[in-house]
Amino acid sequence: MPASGAVVLEARGIVKKFPGVVALKKVDFNLRSGEVHALVGQNGAGKSTFVKIVNGILRPDEGEIRVFGKKVFFKSPADAKRHGITLVHQEITLVPHMSVAENISLARIPTKIKGFGLLDKKFMEELATKVLDELGLHLNPWIKVKELSVGEQQLVQIARALAENANIICLDEPTSALTPAEVERLFEVINVLRRQGKAIIFITHHIDEVFRIADRVTILRDGHKIATLPISETDPQEVIKLMLGREPEQFYIRRRAHRVEEKQKPILVVKNLSTQPAKARGVRLKDISFELYPNEILGVVGLLGSGKTELGKALIGMEKVVKGEILFKGRRVRIKSPIDALKLGIFYLPEDRQKEGLVLLMRVRENIVISSLKNIVNILGVRRINLEKKIASEWVRKLNIVTPSIDAKVMNLSGGNQQKVVVAKALQVRPQILIFDEPTMGIDVGAKVEIRKIIADLANKGYSIILLSSDIDEVLALADRILVLSKGVKVASLINEGITRDELMRLMSQSIPP
Amino acid sequence: MRVVRERPNKLRGVWSKLSSYDEFKPFIALLALFVGSAILSPHFLSSYNQRILLLQTAPLALLALGESMIILMGSIDLSPGSAMALAGTVAAIAHTTWGHPLSVAILAGLATGALVGIINGLMVTKAKIPSFVATLATLVAGRGMVLILTGGQPIVGLSKFRIFTSDILTVPLMVWLFIIFAIFNFFLLKYTKIGVEVYAIGGNEEAARYSGINADLVKLGVFALAGIYYAIAGLMMDARLEVAYPWTGWGYELDAIAASVLGGIQLTGGVGSPIGPVMGAYMLTLITNILILLGVNPYYQWVVKGMVLAIAATALTRGLRYVK
Repeated sequence: MPASGAVVLEARGIVKKFPGVVALKKVDFNLRSGEVHALVGQNGAGKSTFVKIVNGILRPDEGEIRVFGKKVFFKSPADAKRHGITLVHQEITLVPHMSVAENISLARIPTKIKGFGLLDKKFMEELATKVLDELGLHLNPWIKVKELSVGEQQLVQIARALAENANIICLDEPTSALTPAEVERLFEVINVLRRQGKAIIFITHHIDEVFRIADRVTILRDGHKIATLPISETDPQEVIKLMLGREPEQFYIRRRAHRVEEKQKPILVVKNLSTQPAKARGVRLKDISFELYPNEILGVVGLLGSGKTELGKALIGMEKVVKGEILFKGRRVRIKSPIDALKLGIFYLPEDRQKEGLVLLMRVRENIVISSLKNIVNILGVRRINLEKKIASEWVRKLNIVTPSIDAKVMNLSGGNQQKVVVAKALQVRPQILIFDEPTMGIDVGAKVEIRKIIADLANKGYSIILLSSDIDEVLALADRILVLSKGVKVASLINEGITRDELMRLMSQSIPP
Repeated sequence: MRVVRERPNKLRGVWSKLSSYDEFKPFIALLALFVGSAILSPHFLSSYNQRILLLQTAPLALLALGESMIILMGSIDLSPGSAMALAGTVAAIAHTTWGHPLSVAILAGLATGALVGIINGLMVTKAKIPSFVATLATLVAGRGMVLILTGGQPIVGLSKFRIFTSDILTVPLMVWLFIIFAIFNFFLLKYTKIGVEVYAIGGNEEAARYSGINADLVKLGVFALAGIYYAIAGLMMDARLEVAYPWTGWGYELDAIAASVLGGIQLTGGVGSPIGPVMGAYMLTLITNILILLGVNPYYQWVVKGMVLAIAATALTRGLRYVK
């Protein structure tokens, strides 16, 4: 066991590039034994990429990693484990139908007689009991993992890390699915680990947790390391400020705010909307009400887990609405699927472009027309390829999509250009309401500016836009009105006039205790 | 210097253009097998043998067309063998026992195939049963229906079905049929709305749904159409043997899947040429044919087919990190 306080892990000048975007830009980081080091940042800031590199899941393009002062090159997660580094994933990576003991010794299944593969159940049980005891957990080692709560499963994952003799444990958003009581229990376990001299990287988006458990905090933004601060010398406000950051003014497109006239009727009214999350880790929306007017950009801001995405998806029928109503042009509507939404002229541009927005294996032109096929085929359903090509070429020109050709597969495009393909697809259906979910996340600065220009233009042309974004400068620059969400609840609704970013940040982080 | 360099570059350009087509790999494989067989056996190229080969390919080609459509959509269908048998049986009974004219018998057969497909589609989209399990159910139940209807006995007296095997322009009608359906299927998947939707659902169902595609309706339609293809295969079997055997098509679902894989259709969905499975079906039939011509113990054909399939699959998944 290294002396407490010694640097056990050091990363220098880590650079990681993905097609079209640089995820990490010369990131330095160090970790001491007996410390809990929080890693915070917005979505797409590079936190996950960084821990994946530390754990050998990804390989850096530049930079070096030293473990106990020795330079290392990890080829695989198993390689990192041999150096005592383990990642406890955000998702549960246990086999649900196997017992706790079996899961804990999964990486090195003990056998009785060497080479015969006969399970040594006694050894398994001893190992499981030993590490569970160390963590102060009293679980039957033979109970099946699926019988445990999510919190207990999370703790079993940590126990497994201990069984693998990990000295450096990375916890990737371990609290995101836990109840408050389970979070307490997790923190007790983390304290045990700290006393044992383990070094812990703790990724979270709950700033209050950072100040409860961490010794130091490192803030990442857009792939840059912004700062590493001892917890005793900073406060939540400062961390949030550094996290959200501010890009140079020129990257933001200012538009003259559109004023809603008194006699104007809203195109969309949402009343007391409550939802049931469609995904296990989704956010439950509670009593959300707002209006959307023609020609308007309604910005919706909130930290991760505020329910922005869920709000967008609820409006196209991809979240289960349990209460409340939606009025479209004064008429009450039931939107049960994106098909219904499309009929009304509501189109959602997902945050996760690759999973929800595009068919990566298909051509650019096919992705552009995929939502408006019925207008492009003849009466028999036969595609009019020439019309398709003409439409696609027009969008490629109008939106300045950089692609080898309209016949290229979308997977070969950069993130920004992929996003533009999604925009083209959305506009081709001639919608009335566009819902942009984090439209500039994970794309390079140039493309960000272009996308923002497009959004501003669209509003001026008469589209109604809902802009879901965690980039508050983007929202402050583009939106006419701003809705602030926190943990599924609307905490404020503001007209974008004379609001400062500090005020907005304070509203966004309202659930954080002072 | 320049002149020397340009030619290979041009050739390479043509080569890379050619090899970018999904049809390329299966076509090369087919060509190699065809040329190899022609060299190995002098009887292979005889018009009699080629005729037999095409007649045997026809039903399997129809099964493979239906199966591949479903695989392209990201699902799987285990019911082709039973569906073809059931459709063939219904048509045969309609003609012999119930005394309907051939046209009515054919329609009854097609309707039966469509019904099996619709049942598959409803189980997948409404009851949310994974396609593997849903179609496993129709595989088993469908065969049961065939045995009940036939009492386990072959149905004879199908001489009118001979029309399928009679020549039109020197080639049997059922060969024309499989060529027509291959072209139709290609056109459907590449040049119609439903074709784009099939590829989109297979490529990324989540994105397809967010894009406003009615994925459930497309699935239902494609399962039904595949059922009709299987029914045509069933009618062809009735015609070829002039008897409806209760065990017709036993195990053919595996041949249909194998033909799709040989034709370059990836089991993950969304990738492959709609014409590939026809080539795959032809290759599978060709392997059996050449082994018989060479006088090899017929039991070996299974081993050879299995090996060819494994080699083809390896060529297709090269470069992937891992598969399931």
